[in-house]
Amino acid sequence: MFLRLSSAFAAIWLSAVPALAETPVTYTDNGRALFSFSVPDFWAVRTGGPREIEDTELGDPRAVARVMGVRPVTDDTVWIGFVSPAGVASIDGGLRYLQDIDKFLVKSPVVSDTVSTRIGGLPAQVIRGTGTREGRGVNFTATVIDLPRDRVAVAVAVLRDGADPAYVDDLNAVFDSFQAAR
Amino acid sequence: MTSKLIRRTFLALSLGAASFTLSACDGVTVGVGYGYDPFYDSLLWNDYYHDVDVDIDVDRPVRPRPPEGRPPARPVPPIGKPPARPRPPVAKPPARPRPPVARPPTARPPIHRPSPRR
Repeated sequence: MFLRLSSAFAAIWLSAVPALAETPVTYTDNGRALFSFSVPDFWAVRTGGPREIEDTELGDPRAVARVMGVRPVTDDTVWIGFVSPAGVASIDGGLRYLQDIDKFLVKSPVVSDTVSTRIGGLPAQVIRGTGTREGRGVNFTATVIDLPRDRVAVAVAVLRDGADPAYVDDLNAVFDSFQAAR
Repeated sequence: MTSKLIRRTFLALSLGAASFTLSACDGVTVGVGYGYDPFYDSLLWNDYYHDVDVDIDVDRPVRPRPPEGRPPARPVPPIGKPPARPRPPVAKPPARPRPPVARPPTARPPIHRPSPRR
C-alpha cells in the first residue's frame, strides 16, 4: 500500500489529471491576493492570518504568516497546507524556509527526490520524501512556487500510511488548479 | 370514530417518518474538528525568522514605552498614633412603664355573728 501511494504521489506534476477541485480559494496578504487554488468537494478549509506565536517554555515570540490548510471533512489521513512567508522572495529562500519547518512537520525525514518544474506556469521546486509523525509513516511533498513581485508560495501535502489512494487525484487537482493572482 | 381513525393513521405515519429520518442520519455525522491539527500547527512553527529579520504586519496596537528613569519614591506613611476615636454615646433604654400593682384585698377576719337568741 505504501509503495503504491508513494508511486502515485510521485506522479504529481507529471501526469494530466482530471480536475476534481471545485471551489476556488484565494490566499491574500494585507488585502493583496497572492495566489488561488481550488478545494475539492467535501474538503474543509482552515485559514489563519498573520500573527505572533510564542513558545511558552522558551518565551520566544516569532512571526507567522497566514497558513491555509485543506483536508477531507471526514478524514485526517491527507492534508495540504499553503503559506506565503513574508520576506521570502525566491525559491532558494523558500527551500531554506522549508528546512526550518521540516523538523516540526515530520520526524526522520528522508528526501526521495527533488524536481524543478512549473506549477500554474510558474517556476517551482518539488521535494518528495517520507518520514514519521505520531508513530505513523507519512509521505510528503513540499513545494516552493516562485510568485510574482518577490513572493513565494510554500505548499506541503501529506499522506499518512493507510490513506485512500484516491486522495492523490484530489491533491493533484488542487495543485493543478494553482495560479498566481494577476 | 372517523376522527379517531384519522388520528391513529397520522400518528403511525409520523412515527414511520421519524424512524426513517433518524436512520438516515446514522453514519453521516461529521466528527472532524480543528481542535488538534498536527500538520497545520507544524506549518505555523518555524525557525526561519531566528536568522532573518522580517517585519510581518501583525495588526496590533503599539505598546507604550515605559517611562525612563526610576519611578518616584512612594510616600512614607506618617508615624504616630492615630487620634483617639470619639466614643459613641451610650444610650439608655427608655424607662419601662411600671405595670399597675394590684393590691391584695384587705384581709379581714370573719366576723362571727352571734346566732340570734332563741
